[in-house]
Amino acid sequence: MSRLLKLQHIRKQFDEKVVLEDISLEIGTGEIVSLLGPSGSGKTTLLGIILGLTDMDQGKILFNGNDISRVPMNKRGFNIVFQDYALFPNLNAYDNIVYGLRNKKGISKEEVQETIDFLELGPHLKKRISELSGGQKQRVALARTLVTKPKILLLDEPLSALDGVIKESIKQRIQSIAREFKLTTIIVTHDPEEALTLSDKILIINQGQIAQYGTPQDIIQQPADAFVEQFIIRQLQIKRQNIYQLFGAAHA
Amino acid sequence: MHKVKPEMRVIFILIVLLFAVFLFIPLVVLLIRSLENDQGFTLTNYTDVWSRRDLTRSILNSVKVSALTAFITTVLGFILAYGIHCTNVYRPIKGAVRILVALPMLLPTITYGFAIMYSFGNQGLITRITGRNWFEIYGFNGLLLGYVIYTLPPAFLLIHNAFRYVDRKFIIVSRLMGDGTLRSFKNTVLRPLTGALGGALILSFILSFTDFGIPASVGGTYEVVAGQLYQVMLGSIPDFNQGAVVAIVMLIPAVFGIWLLQALEKLNFHVDKMADTPLPKHRIRDTSFGILSLLVVLGMLSIFAVMFIAPWMNGYPYDLTFTFKHVASVLESGDLTGVYKHSLWVALLTSFFGTLAAYAAALLNVRTNLRWRGITDTISMITNTVPGMVLGISYLLFLNGSSLKGTFTILMLCNIVHLFTTPYLMAKNALSRMNPSWETTGELLGDSWLRTVRRVVLPNSAATVVEMFGYFFVNAMVTISGIIFLVSAQTSVVASKIKELQHFAKFNEIFVLSMLIFATNLIIKVLCEVLQRRRAVRR
Ligand SMILES: Nc1ncnc2c1ncn2[C@@H]1O[C@H](COP(=O)(O)OP(=O)(O)OP(=O)(O)O)[C@@H](O)[C@H]1O
Ligand SMILES: [Mg+2]
Repeated sequence: MSRLLKLQHIRKQFDEKVVLEDISLEIGTGEIVSLLGPSGSGKTTLLGIILGLTDMDQGKILFNGNDISRVPMNKRGFNIVFQDYALFPNLNAYDNIVYGLRNKKGISKEEVQETIDFLELGPHLKKRISELSGGQKQRVALARTLVTKPKILLLDEPLSALDGVIKESIKQRIQSIAREFKLTTIIVTHDPEEALTLSDKILIINQGQIAQYGTPQDIIQQPADAFVEQFIIRQLQIKRQNIYQLFGAAHA
Repeated sequence: MHKVKPEMRVIFILIVLLFAVFLFIPLVVLLIRSLENDQGFTLTNYTDVWSRRDLTRSILNSVKVSALTAFITTVLGFILAYGIHCTNVYRPIKGAVRILVALPMLLPTITYGFAIMYSFGNQGLITRITGRNWFEIYGFNGLLLGYVIYTLPPAFLLIHNAFRYVDRKFIIVSRLMGDGTLRSFKNTVLRPLTGALGGALILSFILSFTDFGIPASVGGTYEVVAGQLYQVMLGSIPDFNQGAVVAIVMLIPAVFGIWLLQALEKLNFHVDKMADTPLPKHRIRDTSFGILSLLVVLGMLSIFAVMFIAPWMNGYPYDLTFTFKHVASVLESGDLTGVYKHSLWVALLTSFFGTLAAYAAALLNVRTNLRWRGITDTISMITNTVPGMVLGISYLLFLNGSSLKGTFTILMLCNIVHLFTTPYLMAKNALSRMNPSWETTGELLGDSWLRTVRRVVLPNSAATVVEMFGYFFVNAMVTISGIIFLVSAQTSVVASKIKELQHFAKFNEIFVLSMLIFATNLIIKVLCEVLQRRRAVRR
């Protein structure tokens, strides 16, 4: 797979506190990569740096081999869906979706319709934002971002505000978007299960440093250190035990 | 948060410049002038004040009448707020009290004085109805009554808002624990309200101490600081340096008061959302508070009744037959309608540009990362502190001889600076509640910062913008203390014209003009209310 995005030795500190230290990784075209780590580990900060929202103190970002470290956010061509969606309540769902189109040439009505159909938003287009459910809001925000054809899609905790069943369906949708449009997707999450089931690669961050970067298989089979072991594997084992206890009788 | 954009800096600099030139520099000029005399810079102007009997007396008088006002207003404000929050008074009465108590705010304070004269004077409406002369209105009594009417609405609002710190559950719990009425009242109601009651006292004191309209009308020979200030500046022998000193003397309690107010703010309890606990039934309490509240509010309004009656009579109070002639003559007089148009124009200019300035300042303060954005908070604190008269005199000293003097522009600027704080805080409050990622999202979707503000931020705060506009408008219509030093024959507005008409005892004209202001403000208020509701519902 070709290397689309390269981060090299990224460092960031807020005042005295070092938040990210020597972060280097490569992401291939069409890959889904999760940034996984406990609260305060620097995930959102890293996402902001990739997006161009947050300035880094040291390091380089290469996109298709070009150094984009100094390229401002709106020129990078990446886009994000924020955790709280940041939808515009003064506009209805449809007007939110097409908000960016007046600034972007060459996107046809059909393409917009395609995105709307793909996300099954047809029946909700005329609704006010306050009339949408959490999952619908999420999809409107996704559509608003997707119609502008971002070169990389960033998602900050896309699933944490949703409940069980919807979570699963959004998860599948994110996967199929990435596959269908060959869209490189970077997702922030603090839930190991989510990261392992959703992504091609996982970057585990602990206190601003990379603990491990690899495929779900790598991580499960060869956890790099005690932190990964504790934070990821233990959590999953506990979950598994709980489930077995609940369903054990039926399965036995 | 999103990065700082050049256009943010430009707007920020414009705002800082505006207040540097029209707030900071004038105040510095005022301070310099207060220290200056024939011998150069000395403190003698200040020491002279103490040797002038009339000035020291007026300061003492002001303190006396303002202190008594503060006390009465706070008690009345508390009674009204208590009636609304802690009794089972019939709901429509509560609603009526809340609306009616605010009505005087739609009139200039100078009108209050004339309404008092026409109500309680020898031939006054209330005097005639009740068949007796209640008290000597000119001087202390008139001032006291006027100040109480003037300060009751804001003091009431302050206490009213603080009642959300009073948890009714505690009232019930305290009673169940066997506390006596008084003890329970003290612990569950007075204690959480300490900050607000102190605040109401101070606020009423400052407002009375610095108001010009009421002493200008019913002050009589009872000298207060505001009247002295006017005399020294615009009397037969104007003395600008002495005036500057008196202005500073007026500023000092205001500075001290605002500082105290902020300290008191910290006394307020912070409680989370409370359940709406029903109150136990209490017949005597409910009836007495219902009647008391209505008495206070209706009593206050009855004083204004004459203003709406007298101009429609042939020769009030002797010939009580109905006529259009006074109203018609005002409306036909080009002079007076011109003055009304001036007022309207100044109010529109003030509310348009004032809203723009306050909104922009708040936007930069809460929704950008500008390094010096805290300055707008400082500005708002200073504008909150400086009384209108002090600001007006500073402008007069600063601009004397410049071409800005006597223009509508300077009236507008004085109003904007004078009224800045409240709308600025309204905007800050609204803008800080909105999603912080909108600007970033807009930028990612290809909009410039200003364009996102126009397409998203502004529409989502439309209700607040309307409220800000209404605040600027109504207050610009009624203010007199700031602009009395700045109007010229070409820019005279209703409030200052009334002062002039007083000399010719043209009360019908005064009342007709007041009615015009009242009607205009009422219309604007209702319009704003409707627009705000509409906006709020849409979301
Ligand atoms: N603007 C800022 N100024 C100062 N410190 C900051 C700022 N933004 C983040 N931090 C600090 O940097 C660290 C990493 O924050 P970040 O938001 O990236 O963590 P996170 O991994 O996304 O956590 P969470 O899972 O809670 O969202 C935290 O300790 C945070 O307090
Ligand atoms: Mg985060």
